[in-house]
Amino acid sequence: MILYVLIYLVIIVGVVGAVISKKLLNSAIMLAIASIGISLLLFGYSAPWAAVFELSVCAGLITVLFISAVSLVKNEEDTTKEKQIKYSIFPLIMSAVVILSSIFIPEYFEKLSSYANTTQNGNELKIGDIIWSIRGIDVIAQIMLLAGGVFAIKHIFSYVKKQEE
Amino acid sequence: MNLINSTPTGIMMIPLIIPLICAILILFISEKTRYVREFFSVIVTAVSLWAAIKLFKIGGDNLELVFSWFSSHKLHFKLDYLSMFLLFSVSMFSFLISIYSISIPNKGNPKIFYFLLLLTQVASSGVVLSDNLLLMLFFWESMVIFLYIFIYISSNSQQTKSTALKTFLINGIADISMMIGIAMIYYITSTLSISEISKTKIIMTGWGTLSFFLILIGTLTKAGAFPFHTWIPQAALYSNASFMAYIPAAIDKLLGIYFLARISLHIFQINLSVQIILMIIASITIIAAVMMALIQTDYKRLLSYHAVSQTGYMILGISTLNPIGIAGGLFHMINHATYKSCLFMTAGSVERQTQINDISKLGGLFWKMPATAICFIISAAAISGIAPLNGYFSKELVYKGTLNTGYTIFFYAAEIGSVLTLASFLKLGHSVFFGKLNDNLKGTKEAPLTILLPMIALSCICIIFGFGAHLPLSKLIQPSIVSIGYIPHTELSGFHLDNLFLISITIIIFSLTLHISGFSIYGKPYKTSDHIHYAPIIKNIYQLAEKGYFDLYEIFKRIFKSLANILFKIDRFFDIVIDKIPSNISIIFSSQISYIHRGIYNYYMLAIFIFVVVYLMYLGGIKW
Amino acid sequence: MVIDLLSYSLIPMFSSLALPFFAKKNIRIAIILANVALLSGFINISYLIINSITKPDIIPIIDPLTVFLIFTIYTVALAISFFSTYYGIEKEANPISYYSLILLSVSAMTSLVMVRDLFSLYLFVEILAVCSFALITSDIKSNSIEAAIKYFFLTFPASILIILGISLVLASQKALDFEIISVSTNIMTMIGLSFVIIGFLIKSGVVPFHFWTLDVYQGASSPISAYLAGIITKIGGIYAIIKISIIMKYYPVETISSILLFTSILTILIGAFGAIAQKDMKRMLAYSSISQMGYILAGVSTFSSTGIIAAVFHLFNHATFKTVLFLNSACIEKQTGTTNMTELKGLEKKMPITSWTSIIASMSTAGIPPLSGFWSKILVIIALWQVGYIKSAIIAIIASIITLGYFVLMQRKVFFGKLAEKLTEIKEVESPLLLPVIIMSLMIILAGIYVTYIYSYLEKIM
Repeated sequence: MILYVLIYLVIIVGVVGAVISKKLLNSAIMLAIASIGISLLLFGYSAPWAAVFELSVCAGLITVLFISAVSLVKNEEDTTKEKQIKYSIFPLIMSAVVILSSIFIPEYFEKLSSYANTTQNGNELKIGDIIWSIRGIDVIAQIMLLAGGVFAIKHIFSYVKKQEE
Repeated sequence: MNLINSTPTGIMMIPLIIPLICAILILFISEKTRYVREFFSVIVTAVSLWAAIKLFKIGGDNLELVFSWFSSHKLHFKLDYLSMFLLFSVSMFSFLISIYSISIPNKGNPKIFYFLLLLTQVASSGVVLSDNLLLMLFFWESMVIFLYIFIYISSNSQQTKSTALKTFLINGIADISMMIGIAMIYYITSTLSISEISKTKIIMTGWGTLSFFLILIGTLTKAGAFPFHTWIPQAALYSNASFMAYIPAAIDKLLGIYFLARISLHIFQINLSVQIILMIIASITIIAAVMMALIQTDYKRLLSYHAVSQTGYMILGISTLNPIGIAGGLFHMINHATYKSCLFMTAGSVERQTQINDISKLGGLFWKMPATAICFIISAAAISGIAPLNGYFSKELVYKGTLNTGYTIFFYAAEIGSVLTLASFLKLGHSVFFGKLNDNLKGTKEAPLTILLPMIALSCICIIFGFGAHLPLSKLIQPSIVSIGYIPHTELSGFHLDNLFLISITIIIFSLTLHISGFSIYGKPYKTSDHIHYAPIIKNIYQLAEKGYFDLYEIFKRIFKSLANILFKIDRFFDIVIDKIPSNISIIFSSQISYIHRGIYNYYMLAIFIFVVVYLMYLGGIKW
Repeated sequence: MVIDLLSYSLIPMFSSLALPFFAKKNIRIAIILANVALLSGFINISYLIINSITKPDIIPIIDPLTVFLIFTIYTVALAISFFSTYYGIEKEANPISYYSLILLSVSAMTSLVMVRDLFSLYLFVEILAVCSFALITSDIKSNSIEAAIKYFFLTFPASILIILGISLVLASQKALDFEIISVSTNIMTMIGLSFVIIGFLIKSGVVPFHFWTLDVYQGASSPISAYLAGIITKIGGIYAIIKISIIMKYYPVETISSILLFTSILTILIGAFGAIAQKDMKRMLAYSSISQMGYILAGVSTFSSTGIIAAVFHLFNHATFKTVLFLNSACIEKQTGTTNMTELKGLEKKMPITSWTSIIASMSTAGIPPLSGFWSKILVIIALWQVGYIKSAIIAIIASIITLGYFVLMQRKVFFGKLAEKLTEIKEVESPLLLPVIIMSLMIILAGIYVTYIYSYLEKIM
């Protein structure tokens, strides 16, 4: 129980940090941390499928894409200024969220664990089974997503090069 | 359809079919040929005349011919004595006018003129032959278009075109009212066959009276009675003489009085009040027209007013509702056709030879154009009712009939009309043919033979119908009346030395007095009517008439302008309601919507969140 | 997953992966490869569908909805890809990534209509969103980056709602397959599916979630606007709602039906009224697209077989005529440099074919018989009438009149009238650019004539 609350805190810190950090690289790393936290949570609730995909997609694929994108926009970071809400609001909101969630979340988590999905045989599913035989479509989808992401980056950032020329 | 000459029913179709085919053929004859068209139409009208005479000889009452049209409707053509009589007259006049118009110069494109002439022959034969009211209406109304084109092609001036329009409008609207009247007859009796309706005549109830008056408007316009006559004097000024000799003088009167006789005697059963209205209309026509005729200085215009006036006599005769008067009306119809046509022909011949229409510039043409002059004298005497020409006998019958009804005021009106008629013809004859010859007229020669022949033929008919009055009366008129249903009690023809003869002599003396007094006051023959013209009260009436206050057409022209304005304002109102208001509202909506979607991202996001929450709440069961 | 049609999804994907390698040798070869891949798919699917439509007695082995929608996808994609080659997209964007993205999106959409469970549906929807997000940025001269960002951010609440809904369904049903969901009547499943529907409402661009469509359609470059309006918003948005409504045939659906009805009527009206006072042609066409989306949604909201068939047919029609209209605006923009309707006047003399196809497409949008738009609209109105939403049917009819109004206005302003002075040197666009437009107009007319065949084919969906 305490473990879950800790992981939950890690997730919240990672997400909030991704939004408010000034450097893009830091945002990407914070997002990766949050994703790893979510996948740990999912493993804990014996949802191996979701955990596997969360890990491979969010903590792996997306972070790769983000970091490659960030490395391409290096120049603009320094010149543009963001409008940001005053930092003083955040602690207030954070504390409110923490207090509220500590009241409601534990029950919710317990309810969720009752929905845990076990297989027909009662065995735990292996990662290989999941990826290749049952959800074959998702492999295709992953490839598509990766390709899409790469081409998207190539598409958008080709102007940047052209504009610089 | 059998066109064979051997059967009498087939002969009935000849005056209809053959001129129709030839009319269409005439359109295709090349313009380069001279006189081919004229010969063609002369021959065709002669054939129709021959067919009419042959039918006459065959005699027999109630020949009938039935065609089936579209296999369910039948066209009925019927020939009783009245129709036969009129068919003969119509064909005769077509024949004579086609000879006459060979040499008339200003009749317009000869191709179209002869085309129209033959088609008018077809239409008038159709009117008198048809038994079905709808069929008759079809032929009747087609004549309106021919009338318009006749006038239109006469010359290229703007006045001719506006005269043509006026003719078309007056005749067209009258025809529409006639169509409504016939529709009402169908509603009352649920049949359109004339012979069917005449077995039990329609009586004058509410619908019956209304339909009678609507048809009466159409008939009176065709015949040219007051107040629908105003196109005739205008046409006399702006169209040509052969048209005037054909249609307003002869064909219109024949057809108009024919149908008036049909509706007053054959189809409807008129009561006393309608009869009096008819007689009043007739008397007003006689007097108003002849008073206008008295002061004219244009040859054809004077004659055209007389044509209107004589129509009054015909209507008076028919509306007396006793056989003598009816005989008088019908006899006057054919007589008027002959002498008025002859008079117009003389006008045409003078115009052709001298190119002058104004009688103040003419004079002393007697020795230069003797044949024309003699025809004129005979016709003028006939129209004035001088014994023993045909006009006297028909007028005598009309007077007798009027006296028999007991309303002597109409008799006086007719007599006054006779006085003024003779006075105006004295003026006309004096100023055109007698008197001093003007210098510029010294070179005029007599008109060519093709013009003279019809005139002489018609004058001979005037004399024959006068001296041998029992011939037409017994052969033509009496059987016609019998076939309608009125049997005369006394002998119609014959020279009676009675009061009426004395009265006619008195009339002649009166008119001579008027003419000589006018001549002695003014000295010039064309001014002999000026003492009546400028008499105190009458002068004002004349001024109003010249300005067109009594012309229905002019009155309507003034009303229409304000009517058009009102309708325009109503249309503008509807335009605002239907067009402007919805489009303005839509544009207001649209610009508001555009304003909302300006592109501000924050508002968009906020809106999405709010609406998602709203939808989820609605899903959860919170309804408003 | 319908295995028979898998090749329609795999071939564009492999082509798009192979494209950069071909492009190293010669860019033209790469572009030709892209077009040929789409063309071959188009020929195959049109053969399949013409066979299915003209032989109405044979029961199709493959689901008619899938085949029909794949046909639509390939039609629009081929038109756009062919158009872009001659439009000169090389000057504006990187051609390799452009064509790859188009091929990827085709592959994503085809897989989308082939899957048979909810989670995979969501997967491919997200892939499609990525590809379209990238494609929107194709023209950096105009404000396409702003449009792309707005698109992304304003549709991400949709993703949240969809995932939420899917998780609720999974929790109650323990499986996400369509057959399994359609036979149960659990209340939790229904709530989950309602969430999914609302999420896809946001993705389709109906009122009140339509704000992104206006800026996106106007800001993206013209062939991409056509692509988006023609097929992406549909397959990425409305198709899922149609599929779910087919699933929810036996559910008690009053609440969700009234939500959908209210949304659709609001959409129709706001789209119709908004288009009247627009000065920019692409923005006006965007409002019109919103309005037509409302019609499709109205057909779906009845949850009856007539309504769903009407919705699918109107989807196909909207794909064709909106593509024609947007491609025409692309031609005009290419030749004259502007899409502002106040500056364009009297183009009919110079660009007659553009004018004529524009007329056919406008008449079809407005619903003029015997074009295909009339039939689909009348089916929607009949479906509304049959279920009992009489007032909505009347509003749909009135909006049709307003549609006709602003299209005629546009036609008159832009094409008819006297030629403006600045436009005297304009020539017609070259013929390869006209080819997709002409073929689509022919399809509109043919679909209008052979509508009975199409209707009997689509009846087998239910």
